[in-house]
Amino acid sequence: MTATIDPYAVEAPSRGFLAQLSPLAKLAGPLPAMLLLIFARDLATPAAFLGLAYVLVLAGARLTGRIALLLFVAVPVGAAVVGLALSLWADPARVDRSVPLLSVGDWTLYLGAVQIGLATGLRLAAILALGFVAGLTTTGPDLVRALVQQLRVPYRIGYTALAAFRFVPRFGYELEVIRQAHRVRGAHAGRGPFAVVARWWGYIVPLLAGAIRHAERVALAMDARAFGAHPDRTERYLLPWRRRDTVFTGALWIASAVILIALFPWTL
Amino acid sequence: MTSADPGAPDVPLAPGTPPALLRVRDVAIVHDGAHTAVPASVSFEVAPGEVVLLLGPSGSGKSTLALATNGLIPQAVPAELTGTVSVAGLDATTTPVATLASRVGMVFQDPDAQLITGTVLDDVAFGPENLRLPVDEVLARTEAALRRMGLWERRHENPDRLSGGGKQRLAIASALALGSDLLVLDEPTANLDPAGIEDVYDALAAVVADGRSILLVEHNLDAAVTLTDRVVVLDADGRTIADGTVDDVLRERAEELHALGVWLPVSATAALALRRAGWNLPRLPLTPTELRETLEATAPPVPSAGSAAPDGPERATDLRLDLHSARPVIEVRGLTLRRGRREVLHDVDLTITAGEFVAVVGANGAGKTSLLQAIAGVIPPPRGAVQVAGTDAARIPLRDLSRRIGFVFQNPEHQFIAHTVFDELAHGLHGRHLTDEAIRERTMEVLTRFGLEGKADVHPFLLSGGQKRRLSVGTALVGGAPILTLDEPTFGQDRARADELLRLLQGLNDDGTTIIVVTHDMQLVSEYATRTVVVGDGRIVADAPTRDVFADEALLRRSGLRIPPLAAALRGVRRHPSLAGVTRLDDLEAALR
Repeated sequence: MTATIDPYAVEAPSRGFLAQLSPLAKLAGPLPAMLLLIFARDLATPAAFLGLAYVLVLAGARLTGRIALLLFVAVPVGAAVVGLALSLWADPARVDRSVPLLSVGDWTLYLGAVQIGLATGLRLAAILALGFVAGLTTTGPDLVRALVQQLRVPYRIGYTALAAFRFVPRFGYELEVIRQAHRVRGAHAGRGPFAVVARWWGYIVPLLAGAIRHAERVALAMDARAFGAHPDRTERYLLPWRRRDTVFTGALWIASAVILIALFPWTL
Repeated sequence: MTSADPGAPDVPLAPGTPPALLRVRDVAIVHDGAHTAVPASVSFEVAPGEVVLLLGPSGSGKSTLALATNGLIPQAVPAELTGTVSVAGLDATTTPVATLASRVGMVFQDPDAQLITGTVLDDVAFGPENLRLPVDEVLARTEAALRRMGLWERRHENPDRLSGGGKQRLAIASALALGSDLLVLDEPTANLDPAGIEDVYDALAAVVADGRSILLVEHNLDAAVTLTDRVVVLDADGRTIADGTVDDVLRERAEELHALGVWLPVSATAALALRRAGWNLPRLPLTPTELRETLEATAPPVPSAGSAAPDGPERATDLRLDLHSARPVIEVRGLTLRRGRREVLHDVDLTITAGEFVAVVGANGAGKTSLLQAIAGVIPPPRGAVQVAGTDAARIPLRDLSRRIGFVFQNPEHQFIAHTVFDELAHGLHGRHLTDEAIRERTMEVLTRFGLEGKADVHPFLLSGGQKRRLSVGTALVGGAPILTLDEPTFGQDRARADELLRLLQGLNDDGTTIIVVTHDMQLVSEYATRTVVVGDGRIVADAPTRDVFADEALLRRSGLRIPPLAAALRGVRRHPSLAGVTRLDDLEAALR
């Protein structure tokens, strides 16, 4: 069968301290750093935040094979590839041309260009890694519960979104079947971007028709189980905002400030 | 809109008469955008502890009525409802659905559309949580409902992992946890395989044993009838024409219902055929056991049909002999197929000859659809494994292959690619150096053949369900393919539509088209397929004339299948040897002649 994403995959209970924190704390803590990193231009600042994020994830989450692969292979390789690609792309007129690294004909790759490229790759990696703090230790349902319980997001929206997660694997499967069916019938065969667009356009109508019908059925099933009966509903899993969430968020904000002030990556 | 209820309902109850849980009085429903009311006028009641079966021909508004019992119509689905629907004295059109939810539990047809949360436990708890019950109470109700449905041990699992029958039991548990005394089930077994159907009816028996009431819309009467106390029948417009006990309605008025297009238990249909042949069966049997016992106690009419040599078996043997001499159109040799990392078919051999009607059956996940898809090129088969009309299927370009073998997907909508019915069919003829005139002629011919001549300019998605299905068969055949393969063509359809499709296939088969169909509908298999291939765990575990396959109950059970009701009734009959072993209603009629 097709590989599908299961947002409800049952994970072994996490033992790390990050799993004990409110999803909102894990989002709010790294958020200022993530935003400010977008505007950083040096190498040291993203490197410092990347280190901080790795320390948090490694200390606070259970290290599975998947997570290890992500942290030690996918992210470094991704950052390096993006960094090198960007260094080829950087405008040579605007980089530091004191140290040439490589010359092909009259084109020269300077160390300055590589620095800029790697800084960008590292910056993306750092932002991503800070996102892992919440992303690797929080389930979709917990995030929705926290949003409903703390941020007063209306539960009708939150839980409907949660039910919609279920659609994802279903649509993946349905799309696969539709592609098979259209392929067998020889619909929009051929190469080139126009054929591809025409092909995908042809998948949309049957996919939407199926999606709308399924959504209507799920909505009826939810209504039939008293969804929306009262302004609130029983919460069996409470995700309160505890003192440790405040401490975590505060500590991360202070750490971010210290790093940013110490390394001050902007020239005024 | 609905307050005018004649004869003050809830007051004048005779002492000892329990008040009705559900009271439907003169109900007519007009869907938004429709002009006629379907159902047109329904009246009946469901008393505490009663199991009421709601019957009616296709399109008589049974499902619509089911949605009205907890207020989804008109509150969630726009429609105009006249008459009264009251649930334990509450007006279902104005009482919020959420309030009615704790009185009427609903179970729908599609098991996948009733899963909301991530675990079995959370799914059942979803309803009580919506009612703002305290956590202890939520958990207590959830546990009780799950234990009743036999799912407590699986409470931490993702509901996706349950079988179809398991998902329906989960839906029933969710309804029970809301505390409903009345369960309304709309075709709960239409999407299930035979083992799943058995599963659901075991669960319903437990619900009835607890003293709850059930309103059941169901086409599979063979499973439902043993559970039922009372039967309500609607005619084609959706008017109540019968309301009484199983004996009064199903046994006494079976002929009338049959003529109306209402599905009867297969045993009853068989008994009607026996009556027509002159058998004296005063009490109409409704279950396989009753039919067998009735036959054992009844002498055949004179002139005796019981002693004459039966035609059925002869016919099957003849066919078998024919097949050996006939030309093979599909030859599968050592087919091993992987999907992702999993091997789904192991070293399969299969030969199908021209003009056969073959059913491929097996439990969910046995590999029957993969086998069919490899044969038809939907998934590319390995080289040398599949020969279609003497050529290696792996070497034929897909476009040419679809002219030799047509594939009909489970959901017709998936394979529609054009904006009109005409273009949908004409698409299969383009690129073949035909003149526009020839394409037009051939397309109109197919349109007429499939009863779609008036729909040429309609968008395929706007056709009715039955028309969509016919169009999908037409698109598979328009290129002149002599072989037609179909994947679960009756899945999720009502009996009438399934029967219409099968008659169409039978007609094509009579004209020489080879038909291969994957299905889990055993009665359909026994009625139409001359040969049955049983797939289990990626291997072919049986391949024989249909009646021989159905003679081996142990094999069927091992493969997650069940004997169809007619075969189950007749195989034990000792007194009339000519009837024993008959699996098809047609054969029965032939044996009686």
